[in-house]
Amino acid sequence: MPHRLEIALKPDMFDAEGEGIRHKAKDYFWIELSKVRTVSIITIDAALTDDQLKIIQSAVFTNPVTQISSYNPLPVEFDWIIWVGYRPGVKDNPGSTAVEAIEDILGISFSNEEAVYTSKRFCVSGRNLVRQDIEKIASELLANDIIQQWRIYSKKDWDSSTGIGYIIPKVILNHVPTVSSVSIENDEALKKISDQRNLALNPNDIPTIRSYFLRQDVLAKRAQVGLSEPTDIELEYISQARSDHCNHNTFRGLFRYKDLETGHLETVDNLFRTYIEVPTLYLKDRKPWVVSVLWDNAGAGIFDERHYYVITGETHNSPSNMEAYGGAITGIVGVYRDPLGTGKGSKLIMGSYGFCVGYRDYDGPLTPHLHPRRLLDGVIEGVRDGGNKSGIPTPFGQVLFHDGYMGKCLVFVTALGIMPSIIRGEPADQKKTSPGELVVMCGGRVGKDGIHGVTASSEVFSENTPAGHVQIGDPYTQKKMHDFLLEARDEGLIMFITDNGGGGLSSSIGESARYSNGCEIELEKVPLKYEGLDQWEIWVSESQERMTVAVRPEKLGRFLELSEKHAVESTVIGRYTDSGKIHIKYDNKTCAYVDLDLLSAGFPQWEFDAVWQPPEGRGLFEPVLKEPRDYNKLLLDLLSRPNVCSKEWICRQYDHEVQGGSVIKPLVGINRDMNSDAAVIRPVLDSKKGLAFSQALMPHYSSIDAYHMTSCTIDEAFRRLLCVGGDPEHVGGVDNFCWPSIQYHPVNNPDGQFKAAQLVRSCRALSEMCLAYKIPLLSGKDSMYVDGHLPGRYGETHKVSALETLQFSSISVINDVHKCVTMDSKMPGDLIYVLGTTRNELGASEYYEHFGYIGLNVPKVFPDQFMKIYKALGDAIDKGLVASAHGIYRGGLGVHLAMVAMGGNLGMKVDIGLVPAEAATRGDVLLFSESAGRIIASIAPENKKDFENLFFGLPFACVGTVLESKDFIVDGPQGRNLVSVSVDDLRNAWKKPLGDLI
Amino acid sequence: MSEVRVLVLAGYGLNCDYETAYAFELAGAKAVRVHMNSLIDGTIKPEDFHIMAFVGGFGWGDDHGAGVVQAVKLKTKIGNKIIDFIGNGNLVIGICNGFQAIVNMGLLPGFDNNYTVRSVALTFNDCGNFRNDWVYLKVNAASPCVFTKGIDNIELPVRHGEGKFYSDEATIRRLVENNQVAIQYALPDWSEAGGKFPYNPNGSIRDIAGICDLSGRVFGLMPHPEAYNHFTNHPDWTRRKEEAKRSGKDIHLSEPTAGTRIFKNAVNYIKRR
Repeated sequence: MPHRLEIALKPDMFDAEGEGIRHKAKDYFWIELSKVRTVSIITIDAALTDDQLKIIQSAVFTNPVTQISSYNPLPVEFDWIIWVGYRPGVKDNPGSTAVEAIEDILGISFSNEEAVYTSKRFCVSGRNLVRQDIEKIASELLANDIIQQWRIYSKKDWDSSTGIGYIIPKVILNHVPTVSSVSIENDEALKKISDQRNLALNPNDIPTIRSYFLRQDVLAKRAQVGLSEPTDIELEYISQARSDHCNHNTFRGLFRYKDLETGHLETVDNLFRTYIEVPTLYLKDRKPWVVSVLWDNAGAGIFDERHYYVITGETHNSPSNMEAYGGAITGIVGVYRDPLGTGKGSKLIMGSYGFCVGYRDYDGPLTPHLHPRRLLDGVIEGVRDGGNKSGIPTPFGQVLFHDGYMGKCLVFVTALGIMPSIIRGEPADQKKTSPGELVVMCGGRVGKDGIHGVTASSEVFSENTPAGHVQIGDPYTQKKMHDFLLEARDEGLIMFITDNGGGGLSSSIGESARYSNGCEIELEKVPLKYEGLDQWEIWVSESQERMTVAVRPEKLGRFLELSEKHAVESTVIGRYTDSGKIHIKYDNKTCAYVDLDLLSAGFPQWEFDAVWQPPEGRGLFEPVLKEPRDYNKLLLDLLSRPNVCSKEWICRQYDHEVQGGSVIKPLVGINRDMNSDAAVIRPVLDSKKGLAFSQALMPHYSSIDAYHMTSCTIDEAFRRLLCVGGDPEHVGGVDNFCWPSIQYHPVNNPDGQFKAAQLVRSCRALSEMCLAYKIPLLSGKDSMYVDGHLPGRYGETHKVSALETLQFSSISVINDVHKCVTMDSKMPGDLIYVLGTTRNELGASEYYEHFGYIGLNVPKVFPDQFMKIYKALGDAIDKGLVASAHGIYRGGLGVHLAMVAMGGNLGMKVDIGLVPAEAATRGDVLLFSESAGRIIASIAPENKKDFENLFFGLPFACVGTVLESKDFIVDGPQGRNLVSVSVDDLRNAWKKPLGDLI
Repeated sequence: MSEVRVLVLAGYGLNCDYETAYAFELAGAKAVRVHMNSLIDGTIKPEDFHIMAFVGGFGWGDDHGAGVVQAVKLKTKIGNKIIDFIGNGNLVIGICNGFQAIVNMGLLPGFDNNYTVRSVALTFNDCGNFRNDWVYLKVNAASPCVFTKGIDNIELPVRHGEGKFYSDEATIRRLVENNQVAIQYALPDWSEAGGKFPYNPNGSIRDIAGICDLSGRVFGLMPHPEAYNHFTNHPDWTRRKEEAKRSGKDIHLSEPTAGTRIFKNAVNYIKRR
């Protein structure tokens, strides 16, 4: 007999969650609610006595000061009730902690059959509400049918004695685990089975797979272990390892690049090797601070004599697009396992985010699964809970709105860690497995999570079918595992560690077994969330919060002792061998026996035709636009644009100071509301050294040329670091490509060849920029299918593709954090400088976009010229001459002068006619061109001579001064006044669109 | 007293253990991070320490009320040992999640020398969201609180979703009358915040940010003093550096920050007792 406890705040208490829903119902749907009260429901599916129920009710689940509770439905006032609970198999984090708490206080243990399920009942009041209103609130605000179920009750429907009844979303599979063998009679047969079973084998790979399993020597060896035709688990293993996600087939592909203008044809064999690996290895030889690149879960650089920092980035786009909160929290918690699995393990020290979504106020004809506003809310909250509950600061991030992300949103997540350089005399960045070592799985349990990704979403649901393909990350379980593994690492117990992410055990064991050259796995030992998983499902499940660790047998006892202390589950599931084989058994019967080197042998390379048509040839041109007269209104309107305006509410809900090392926060300035150019942290508290981190994202330029998009993005990420005091000699990068599909299809992807050319050009720019700026790529990722098919008004669907997008992360070490500077103007009388040349480069700018133009003159990067300015700025900051420094980014000089002024809450008077310029004379060009390589700096007047000496011979100009008053005055060429507004006007405009959100 | 030893709790999702230990070390103590289970199984004994720190974080993910499950576990397993620890004249500080935990254990407010009654709560912020911001705090000079002695105003960061201090009127009155309200949220001019957001970031009754027991030796607060362990933690530090330079002054890097002073007070109290 299950028990159902209802808990609510006392009636006189303010219900913040209910209030939030009331506001959103009004703001999002214009539905007026007078009151929303929330009731938390805990359904206990376990045999407890009345006394036990009373104890847990009063000691755990009811706060006597604030709450009331009852095992009967609480009589809370309502006109309508919406009940929302999880579907079976969806991770119910509070349900799990409830079990822990009950077990603790009662001194009992739940059986495998017993569990606690949490859900919520929203009691909604309002005049004239109709069922449709309530359904809208339920389906578009409170619940997502992918992971949740809901019920709606009117006053008439509700039975106050039975309430919601007893809803037990328990997974019942009633299935005996079975290994099946697959016919490989001919290519077509295997292809057919692959399609039927969702194996997703690449058709081009099928002959290679078949010929392996038909080899005489292979057949003979397999016969010895009782196998003949390949098993499903073997084919799943191959499919996972060969997937674009794991094997990066696109980036390792062969590209035939043709320039239609010149007729030039060029073949690029392997983008990754040509444009990422080669330059990075070249730079590694010249940058002694590079420790580890291109092989581990994250790259590593030297922080100080005793520490290495590590960095990597990821995206979690498709899952977030389906279930924003779950996708984003799984994304951030997932990327945190990469540093944890780097070297022998790294402590997490920082995370960042990047969200690309459709416009919040979109009201056009397309209907994506989640409206962009809801999607954005969800991903913000997912990263919030994932980061905050992991105890990792999130001091940097970006949000970008564009219609192209309606098809699929982008959720970038980046993670930084730190490790000691030496652990017990051994280098901490190195690791390997050796024969005889044990394969240990730590952390969460395995369920049907993430198997075959979103293809599972088309399956028919029953009330006990697990809805596990979209997951909800569990930072609590992972934090315990993180603390445990670091303690184990410091005791020298870890020989090898890697995370279980995409591909699950199949990937983590497959990769780690390459070092020892083999493994033997006893799959029945893997702890499961529920019974009835097939062997192949256990092997490829992507259930989260798990790491695979190699432990020497003699160290196992201590390892498990620490694991128990930290309340983490660790299980030996096999051992590493040198047999050359992945050997998987289940109940002592072999179900997979594959040569490890199969994957490195003879699979065909992917091939792409890439056809480049220069922008002029595509009909792009500069708009015919006469100079505006009302610059005041224009500047204020630009400040209010979605991609420029304040997004303070996001930064404020992310803990950016945990771990105690915050130096430059995400929001700076006298009112603590301006976006910083970069974040700086002190990861080692007793050191004066810091890590500066920044990112840039400027996909708009791809609408002209992804080459310049890429070079401008990298320049911006680099420049951002310099503005806070980063060291131009020590900058590492992380490239994260998100591209629409480049697989040409005359009907389904007619511009695939152009997008392929954009990718080739982007990679070329990446390589050239990294070599010019001397940025080794410490890590990188790609996500290649950023397209969606959205229903329109008439039942038709539209393919919506994202802009070709690169997020570039940059990291630098700062020798003395006391030298850091922020972007806000500091003192009246300070001199304002513009460093770098302004060109007529309004193509794809915010200014043009404001008028609906793209234009042609996209900003370009001139590394040799820029680097001289950057080095001079670095010297000036190092000498303490600079009071503020701020890059000129999207929106141009006008927008960013305004930012500097708002930062100091001080006016300024500048003459932009003095700005160093090339072919730019008009006020609007000078104010809004997005030329790269430029910085606004302010200095104390007494530093004028020293400062200017450093820039001798370079393009720079003193353009004005910081004022005591709040007047923001910009004069243009010929002394004509262009802008004259108050700093308060600037701030009001900048905060108008989203400034009230909390 | 040669060495002041501090036990800093860790594990189960707590996450401010490193910097809290560091802040105590800056204050001159010897701080040890101890997993809750090592305290429960007796591997580590409270009697070997002088100060116990319940730190910030998300114990048990903050499910079922922030600090609740931690409180249940510690109270059930070693509640008496902790009460003895207080009874022996030692110090306890609860910061953020730690404050939430000790309030749910009943260590605060500790009326009538009873350290087991839950009579105040830290509940969801009125603003409806987690919030990280710096706040202005006014210290009650008349409070017996050991940790805030000699400090009048202080700026610290808050980082919480459940920090609204709440209780019934009688309890609040009693706390005020006893001077157990040690710190309150204030406006930038250090006058009363009067509930005004964002200065009072969570809607706390009477702007209460931290309270102590009657002895002043048990202190809980929502803001994070350990996150102000360095000059560069303060949001205005680049401005202050610039102002100092212009007036020809040095920025006093070696001077303890306001956050560190709270820990120094604790260490000095143990040294002098």
